[in-house]
Amino acid sequence: MQQNDENRTPRTVIPFGPQHPVLPEPLHLKLVVEDETVVEAVPALGYVHRGLEGLSSIRDFNQMVFVVERVCGICSCIHAVTYCHCLEKMMNIEVPERAKFLRVIWGELHRAHSHLLWLGLFADSFGFESLFMAFWKVRERIMDINEATAGNRVIVSVNVVGGVRRDLTPQQCRWISNELNIAEGEIRALMSTMLNDYTVRERTVGKGVLSAETALKLGAVGPTLRGSGVAQDARQLGYDAFPSLDFEPVTAPDGDSYSRAKVRFLETLQSLELVRQAISRMPQGELAAKVRGNPEGEVTDRTEQPRGEVFYYVKGDGTKYLPRVRIRTPTFSNIMPLLAMLPGCQLADVPVIALSIDPCISCTER
Amino acid sequence: MNRLEKLQQWFNKRINEGRLKSPWIVHFDCGSCNGCDIETLACLTPVYDVERFGIINVGNPKHADVLLVTGTVNSRNRHVLKNIYDQMPEPKAVIAIGACGMTGGVFRECYNVLGGVDQVIPVDVYVPGCPAKPEAIIDGVVTALERIKVKLGLIEDPALSSGEAAAALEPVSSFTQTAPEKGVESEAAALTGESSAARSSAFDAPASDLSAAGATSAKETAAQGDATAENPAGETSAAAFEQEPAAQSETAGGTTPPAGKAQEHDGKTV
Amino acid sequence: MIMLLPYAVAALVLSVIAGGLLSGVDRIVTARLQSRQGPPVLQPFYDVFKLFGKTHSVVNPWQVFCSFVYVTASALALLLFFMRGDLLLLFFILTIGAVFQVVGALTVNSPFSQVGAQRELLQMLTYEPILILVFIALSMKSGSFLIADIYRLEEPLLPSMPLVYVALGYALTIKLRKSPFDISASHHAHQEIVRGVLNDYSGPQLALLEIGHWLDVVLLLGICSLFWSTGVVGMIVLLAATYFVELVIDNVCARLTWQWMLLRGLCAGVILCVINLFLLYAV
Repeated sequence: MQQNDENRTPRTVIPFGPQHPVLPEPLHLKLVVEDETVVEAVPALGYVHRGLEGLSSIRDFNQMVFVVERVCGICSCIHAVTYCHCLEKMMNIEVPERAKFLRVIWGELHRAHSHLLWLGLFADSFGFESLFMAFWKVRERIMDINEATAGNRVIVSVNVVGGVRRDLTPQQCRWISNELNIAEGEIRALMSTMLNDYTVRERTVGKGVLSAETALKLGAVGPTLRGSGVAQDARQLGYDAFPSLDFEPVTAPDGDSYSRAKVRFLETLQSLELVRQAISRMPQGELAAKVRGNPEGEVTDRTEQPRGEVFYYVKGDGTKYLPRVRIRTPTFSNIMPLLAMLPGCQLADVPVIALSIDPCISCTER
Repeated sequence: MNRLEKLQQWFNKRINEGRLKSPWIVHFDCGSCNGCDIETLACLTPVYDVERFGIINVGNPKHADVLLVTGTVNSRNRHVLKNIYDQMPEPKAVIAIGACGMTGGVFRECYNVLGGVDQVIPVDVYVPGCPAKPEAIIDGVVTALERIKVKLGLIEDPALSSGEAAAALEPVSSFTQTAPEKGVESEAAALTGESSAARSSAFDAPASDLSAAGATSAKETAAQGDATAENPAGETSAAAFEQEPAAQSETAGGTTPPAGKAQEHDGKTV
Repeated sequence: MIMLLPYAVAALVLSVIAGGLLSGVDRIVTARLQSRQGPPVLQPFYDVFKLFGKTHSVVNPWQVFCSFVYVTASALALLLFFMRGDLLLLFFILTIGAVFQVVGALTVNSPFSQVGAQRELLQMLTYEPILILVFIALSMKSGSFLIADIYRLEEPLLPSMPLVYVALGYALTIKLRKSPFDISASHHAHQEIVRGVLNDYSGPQLALLEIGHWLDVVLLLGICSLFWSTGVVGMIVLLAATYFVELVIDNVCARLTWQWMLLRGLCAGVILCVINLFLLYAV
């Protein structure tokens, strides 16, 4: 305990992480508290840094797809999609329409499973263990879809430069639509608990308020930004098959943890709907375009991951090794808003607020 | 005195039964991409439900028996990992999950990665996969319980019954020769009173014998171990950390545990 | 009262077993409510035996002393209950045990343990006035604080004191460490202070605390059973229904903050008791 002034309450430093049952990842926050009110939060990162961007100098640009997929196991498909976009731009490859739709299908399934995972962990953080179990039980349906269509539950590895590697048969498409209908029914059954239950609202409403101006000023992205009422979503840029799908960003006005949870909950339902639309509108065609030559030039690309907008910069020099791959992940942008939300909150609210930005530290540190 | 002895025996039997039927886990993400972590958390949820086996995810290393580690080790998080391992009271087991936990996986050539979990702490079971499926993780925990049974002397070590299987079971590459066997050895000796010399004769196998690696508790491939052994950064750090002269890594195993390591272990059992 | 001593000691030994089985049933029912299967019913016994077999890793010797005092106090309080003794004396012995558990956590310098200990004190601050009011209500009906006098009543107490029973439910939720009041050390869920007041106890000390917790649960269910002291069947039905309602509430509520518990939980409990007594005696 440190005494700062004669008339100030003594302050304690509580270390939160890197190993903590509430946090699935090693994030270290030194919380300076006065009597259970957080005064300051000092982050310490670097526990997950692997330096995988450096692998682009020893793995050729086709192998890097699989490395980049493992930046984060939860948003893995969309990392691969963004990387492939960059290389396709550099090498002027036209991706077939069917491949674009397939990318959207697997991408939106990833978004749905990521949000359901998050909703479960969020419920666990304020002690609602049965809701955690319920959300993860629904999520298993999506995991089954991943496993049946791509072979792996979590890291599906379906993207290659030029398109996708796997196809969906009409029978699989019908089965997926059916499963998603059932999943949607189960998710809607949890809606009244997640959004209207008294104890849930007591723990989340008004906690970690982020106004729209602060969010934009500090560079928040994704549901953290949309929970403050700003309708910005990188899917509005119209990449892949999104121009052919009916898509509007989901927002909530209040900017607290409850709003962010509501945005993610509604986005889950929206993702299931987008998958069903993509399945019904998918044209026949090739799976991947041929890749010739080596990448050269500098190119950037942005897509929407479950946590927000991800930004890739790729530089090629005519050889099959890329001299630079730079990834700016959404959590990297959302950490400053988190540090702005924490002062003034109670100790019991720290996991709720820290989880409400959906931190993915392995994305941040690569 | 006979009644007292019987009571003590009954009590010890119950304690051993408790150790097998109630392994509490602490899960540490040590630089992982989160794939293996979410599969580990999925084990606690309805479809897989490891609470059937008595497993609870206590977040506190002081309450836990089994440490589930995912992810690669770098110079920053290895202190945390060692700290958590040291806080756990004996008897304990360590399970390294996923390709990253075993050897560093896809990232083993990255500049900030030192290697797998066994760079820092002795590992009992390796669960392969990228990410490892929940079924594989449950299988890994059950295998760890079998290893605990061997350590407690309740069953014969299946490795000792046949010569080649013995060599295949213990990971004896030059990369990791000190940590796993010595941990298992000294604990088994402490708990069952066997002499360490008798057991370690099984470990005198050169790395080339690791052709049949069928058991889930063995490393995936010996070639992996050899390739990573050539990694100078990995070897130096392993050597520096384990306080071993580099020359000793050539003799796979060795008959006596290195003095530093054994004392380290004994010190922990206070 | 002393004549009941051998019966009380036997009941105490059976209570340890009953408490463990109850804890096992608790976990199975909770798991089934969460669409899982749950552990075997003897699981708490395996847990406790395993903890006894761990090597000691105490931070300081006070923890050993405090865990012994806690389990002894719980056992003495339960013994007093089975000997049909004085309710107030029972309450004080229970409090001594709970305070020593907190003291053991306070002797450790870790911030989680300190915060957990302070929250446990706040929980005691909430449930103790409610318990005192419940005992006062019982004594007003039976004429004295002795449990023996409650057993001499001919009518069960529940129909005339339902609000007091609901207030006792608040105290029961806190003592059982169930949501929404599992604030200092939750049984299964994860919280920001890890295991709170139980954080730095491990091995045999944790086993003793677990056994003490079972005895506390049995004691509190015993106090609940005083509300239907006239028939065994009615008593069992009441206790089963109460415990099941506690489990359901645990599974439909998130964990609330200590500020909520202190302001609204305590006030609700006190007001319910006062209203009930008012309706009984002043109207």
